[in-house]
Amino acid sequence: MATSSSGGDKFTRNLVIGMVALVVVVGASFSYFGSKGSTTAAIPSSVSKDDGYGIVFNADVPNVPTIDIYEDFQCPVCARFEAINGITLEKAIEEKKAKVVYHVLSFLGTESILAANAAACASDEDKFLAFHKAFYANQPAENAGAIDATFLKSIGAAIGIDSPKFAACVDNGGYSDWVKNVAEAGAKANVNSTPTVFVNGKELDRNTEYFNVEAFTKAIAG
Amino acid sequence: MILNLIDKFALGKYGKWFGLLSRLILGGVLFAAGWLKIFTPAKSQMAVRAYEVLPISLANFLGIFLPWFEVGLGVLLILGIAVRLSAFFGGALMVVFIAAISQAWARGLSIDCGCFGGGGTVDPSETKYLSEILRDTGLALLGLYLFRYPLTRFAVEKFTKTQGA
Repeated sequence: MATSSSGGDKFTRNLVIGMVALVVVVGASFSYFGSKGSTTAAIPSSVSKDDGYGIVFNADVPNVPTIDIYEDFQCPVCARFEAINGITLEKAIEEKKAKVVYHVLSFLGTESILAANAAACASDEDKFLAFHKAFYANQPAENAGAIDATFLKSIGAAIGIDSPKFAACVDNGGYSDWVKNVAEAGAKANVNSTPTVFVNGKELDRNTEYFNVEAFTKAIAG
Repeated sequence: MILNLIDKFALGKYGKWFGLLSRLILGGVLFAAGWLKIFTPAKSQMAVRAYEVLPISLANFLGIFLPWFEVGLGVLLILGIAVRLSAFFGGALMVVFIAAISQAWARGLSIDCGCFGGGGTVDPSETKYLSEILRDTGLALLGLYLFRYPLTRFAVEKFTKTQGA
């Protein structure tokens, strides 16, 4: 079988192979460093680095189970999960029956990053849960261009956030580096789907415990 | 016997045209598959992790590297440069994918292959392992054909000797 090529052709061949290899290496490096978190990222209040940069409720309540919830604001199944279990979780937080950590992932794309950033801004106003609930109740279609600063501020306004600080925070995307940190921690925690719920580090059963309020309530009791 | 027939076909009138078609299909699929994933690296990492084969850190590395590698192989195949080499890697990649999907199926995981973006854990009713394996088998065979008969129509790279000589 012949594989020898003529002189000029060999040059073209090596040039193109070299260029393609360069693009692959440079592109992959950009992806890698672009998705890497940063230790100097601005972090919203109530976020704990030790909890995978998640937004933590009841951090200091002793002897209660820890519930880790990984979700993406654009994921439709997460909206369904919130509709079924949101109230149960809010109640657990309010009654200090559990430590709850929300990990806002962003693998569905840039609009997920915008939404996660805005949720962090709402967290600074002590309105994360309200924002979370209102967003899912009005969740737009995935990556349709509907999730922008105007939309996110309107969600904020609907739950009574009127501070200029929130508006500036949403506009500036000041927590987008933190969003990367959350994503990186989620990748290290081997989260492969949203929503994913861990109770004391053990994942709930996707077939029985995620979308049934009785089973879920029982599961998060620890 | 069958090999003789394939040889006869490949070196015959339509062999190089079939080679062109193979290049465009295998290269086009690789390019599209890579392209659809390079802009969502977090999702692509998730898709690799969901196979539950590799250590997490290696899976996360591959989730970023593989899409770019696929794009590179796709470009070379479509242009018709280093056909033998890129067909080898393209075909080998398909064999790896088939193995990965098969083990996921055999272990009862319910994941999407994440071949063209997407991926991760899905509802058991949404898995389509068989069609994914059949598609990748077809692509692997095209890779094998190109590896054996790398001379094709409209390739940028020209050869001085004739194929099979």
